[in-house]
Amino acid sequence: MRMSRWRSVCAASALALATSFAPAHASPEDDTLRAAMAEEILNLDYNYTTKREYIILAQLTDATLFNIDPETQEVNPSIATGYEWIDDTTLDVTLRDDVKFHDGSALTPEDVAYTYNWIANPESESNATGVVERWLDNAEVTGPNTVRFHLKSVYPLVIRDMANRIMIRKDGTYNEGGEIDRDAMSSDLIGTGPYRVVSFEPGTELVLERFDDYFGEAPAIGNIVVRNIPDVGTQQAELMSGGIDWMFKVPLDLAESLGATPMASHLSGPDLRVGFLVLDAGGYTDPDGPLTNVLVRRAINHALNTEEMAEFLIGGSAEAIHTACHPAQFGCDQDAVAYPYDPEKAKALLAEAGYPDGFPLELWAYRDKAAAEAIASDLTKVGIDVTLRYVKLESLNQARAAREIPAYFGTWGSGGTADTAAIARIHFSGESDRDMSGDTDLADLVLSAEQTSDQEERKSIYSDAIGKIADEALWAPLFSYSANYLVSPELDFPLDPDGLPRLQNSSWK
Amino acid sequence: MLRYIALRGLLALLVAFTVSLAAFLLLNVAADPAQAIAGEDATPDVVEAIRARYGLDRPLSVRYFDWLGGVLQGDFGESYYWHKPVAELVADRADETITLALSALAVTILIAIPLGALAALNPNSWIDRFALGVAVSAQAVPNFWLGLIMIILFAVMVPIFPVSGDDTWMHFVLPAFVLGASSVPAVMRLTRTGLIEVMGADYVRTARSKGFRGWQLLRRHAMRNALLPVISVLAVQLGQKFGGSVITESIFAINGLGRLALESILGADIPTVQMLIFVFAIVFVAMNLLADILNAALDPRIRIG
Amino acid sequence: MTSTDFSIPVTPAEDGAETALTPGQIFRQRLFGHTGFLIGAGLILIIVVIAIFAPLIAPHDPFAQSLSARMLPPVWVEGGNWDYLLGTDQNGRDYLSRLIYGTRVSITIGLGAATVGLLIGVTLGVIAGYFGGWADHAISFLLTAQLALPGLLLAMALVFIIGPSIWVVIGIVGVLHWTYYLVVTRAATQRIRSQDFVAAAAASGASPRQIIWHEIMPNLLSAIIVIFTFELGIAILAESSLSFLGVGIQPPTPSWGLMIAEGKQAMFYRPWLVILPGICLFLLVIGANLMGDGLRDITSPEGRNE
Repeated sequence: MRMSRWRSVCAASALALATSFAPAHASPEDDTLRAAMAEEILNLDYNYTTKREYIILAQLTDATLFNIDPETQEVNPSIATGYEWIDDTTLDVTLRDDVKFHDGSALTPEDVAYTYNWIANPESESNATGVVERWLDNAEVTGPNTVRFHLKSVYPLVIRDMANRIMIRKDGTYNEGGEIDRDAMSSDLIGTGPYRVVSFEPGTELVLERFDDYFGEAPAIGNIVVRNIPDVGTQQAELMSGGIDWMFKVPLDLAESLGATPMASHLSGPDLRVGFLVLDAGGYTDPDGPLTNVLVRRAINHALNTEEMAEFLIGGSAEAIHTACHPAQFGCDQDAVAYPYDPEKAKALLAEAGYPDGFPLELWAYRDKAAAEAIASDLTKVGIDVTLRYVKLESLNQARAAREIPAYFGTWGSGGTADTAAIARIHFSGESDRDMSGDTDLADLVLSAEQTSDQEERKSIYSDAIGKIADEALWAPLFSYSANYLVSPELDFPLDPDGLPRLQNSSWK
Repeated sequence: MLRYIALRGLLALLVAFTVSLAAFLLLNVAADPAQAIAGEDATPDVVEAIRARYGLDRPLSVRYFDWLGGVLQGDFGESYYWHKPVAELVADRADETITLALSALAVTILIAIPLGALAALNPNSWIDRFALGVAVSAQAVPNFWLGLIMIILFAVMVPIFPVSGDDTWMHFVLPAFVLGASSVPAVMRLTRTGLIEVMGADYVRTARSKGFRGWQLLRRHAMRNALLPVISVLAVQLGQKFGGSVITESIFAINGLGRLALESILGADIPTVQMLIFVFAIVFVAMNLLADILNAALDPRIRIG
Repeated sequence: MTSTDFSIPVTPAEDGAETALTPGQIFRQRLFGHTGFLIGAGLILIIVVIAIFAPLIAPHDPFAQSLSARMLPPVWVEGGNWDYLLGTDQNGRDYLSRLIYGTRVSITIGLGAATVGLLIGVTLGVIAGYFGGWADHAISFLLTAQLALPGLLLAMALVFIIGPSIWVVIGIVGVLHWTYYLVVTRAATQRIRSQDFVAAAAASGASPRQIIWHEIMPNLLSAIIVIFTFELGIAILAESSLSFLGVGIQPPTPSWGLMIAEGKQAMFYRPWLVILPGICLFLLVIGANLMGDGLRDITSPEGRNE
């Protein structure tokens, strides 16, 4: 009874807020979808950004050569109509002839070749350079609507990279007249996507309107306004008063509380992000440390009640995982060995490893504080003396780069790519400090998967790698995430299985 | 007097540079700006590219003197996040903070001085005790908590004021109250003591013997002298309001310098932090200087030397 | 430098003998006649007792989580449960027990940080006041720089470099709060130094060290005790602010500031998560302040209620 009175208080206050302060927005009437983001939006050019918010916006304003179907993982045409491998390292791509830029000009094969060659050039300092220079030697125009890509070596994931990373720009965009301007598209973006930029105030507001010459299917909603509201509580108040229609990354408790009112609907969709503990199996912090002992790592795996964490702390569609990849990712073989929750067995393993009284462990974390505390608490329960270091992401990364972190609670979203390659390469190929396994055989195995175009072979390599990671207990995989949204009851917002929100697919009820 | 002001101004600059050097070193130790810019799922090559792009791969000393060289020419550098000159950023946001600081000061004056005067006119009465109670309580309330409670009470339960933002004057009422409340105890106590002291002075006794009573006595004779120390304390408090705006602006989502400071400290946006610290230090020292000058100008007994 | 009410009168120790009563008796008489002091001391006493006997009083282990029983409301709200009088937090830990253990964190940090501040502030204050000249200028400069440096930055860097622990937080808060001691002891030392008995001691060949310890320190004592009591409250508030911003006490240690930060997210639906730890903080700090006010009145009766 007390609770419901609180609810009605909130409802009343929301009404009052709506009537007295915020101009009452009736979104379907003015055909404007107002979305809130906490992260500040400062640059609209995804070729020069990395964060997830920017992927969401790039989906609206830009187009890539191909699209990956989030449901089936199949390659769909976008700006390109198709492709053909001439040999292992030569790829021909055919383009549509009706693609228009937001300034009205038509897209040419020169634009495509320019974009790729620019990004592959280290001088561009693009955030996509690392992805492209791995495989691209150069791109050349071979006809009125064909571009040929010359590869440095065999690389099976070319089409995926093309679909995910490179936004097509007009020829000369970044170095018009020989002068390099990497911020050329950061605010006055000229893209080829379904929406075009009307106005942009960095860190405050982005206004988009439907681009009528868009080559693909026209989106249902005419205008999208993205507002930067850093505080989730403020976003919530705005949603209650009708100031916004859509918010994402909503903490579970808030989503459930507000979703239970008539002011908002709580949507919970899958997310490719997974959470895991990375353990210093390679002995970087201490060559003879307890974590170099596989029995200790298995004990840690047994000690964690990941199912409870997934159910109560992450919620929605989150589930416990036992693999070092998301079960929905290609090659993520679920036959890998699992270590079910069993604190007694964990204690026994610790004793067997020579640590009957546990050992001190510094556990680092940077997000989901409740989950980090739950992990620390579970480990403490089996006798490990955990010190939790809950820090800013930058601090964690810095300490990890200096090899000062014995164990951390990490997460990885795979950039929305449903392929084990997107998580295995960075974590197990030895190329980054995220790889604390110290296992060079494993690194070779993971890299070999990227040297073949044979899907069956790739699958079996990943299956081996994931199996090995589980056997050695290099990680303690925790749970998959769920994406929690709060949206206006009038908005129909479809969710995709890869967890990437696609505002362009929404419509009014 | 002029020499004194020049000396103090020099001191302010020296403080500002020392503090900015300290801030620069501390920030570089605590967080890597390249990582902060790249975000959660950044690959190492992206971080490297950003590091190169912003010149973060150069030695610390080179970067500091680079910054210093720019500052001496009036260029505070460009924010890593906002991609625009820091000076512009700070200028854009200063008005919100100035509005907040001044309205907070107004709140302090409106509450503290009448309360202190009432208490002084009626020492040891219930109003004196009430005033003391207010002072003691205001000193004991955590500022951030008061902010949250104000939101719960006056923005949600009894929705008189908006939850957050900085669009209209209504948005500033709660934050100004929260920020102003923290100065009430000091100002109130000082007003009260000052008045009690002045009321005991000979010339006030003479006035009283001539038949002046209560408010009239206060207004015509006591207030001016009693308020001398209060005015200089108010100047110092105003300086402190700028620093105090960090938490208040964050809680009420006011787009001012305080929130900018917090965000850039947490996000390792070094150029922005540097300039803000510089500005805060100068404001702080300037307000203290103003307090001293006011003291000297209003009270002929004090001589600055 | 002008600043807030640093007006603690320093009375020389040999002063204040009244007829028939020893100074100790007068002091005690004043102590027990001061309502504010009694309330403050009472509050502090209760909280200290709670902190010392926390394991006996707390109904649950403050660290024991039970994810399936998370976010339970207090007993007076629908869905509440007598097992958890004040409900549970986001990890299903008993809120009452965490509040009870929170007293330990606050009191330890309050005492520790006020002591660190005392050591720094009094040392600098006495040096500046006694020697004057360059030492005084250098220390004044340090004071201004200290007041201008954002504590948040210092806290972040120190927590990162040294690693979070209760000792680091004590160090940070202490390093941020020595200015009050400095300003008062500097002024008082200057005043005492110019008095006859100091000149007499110097004339009889006492070293500055001896003069400081035997002539000046005893006269500063009552002022230092009063400031210490105020700083106790200020340090407790400072710790809670740092913890609220995430750079103070680290989870899972129950700190009231941290608990407020955790509860903030859901404060429209579960306001008690924010209100309860705030009330605890308020009671503790007001206790320290009332005690400080009382001690000031008692040690210098002419400055009552100042």
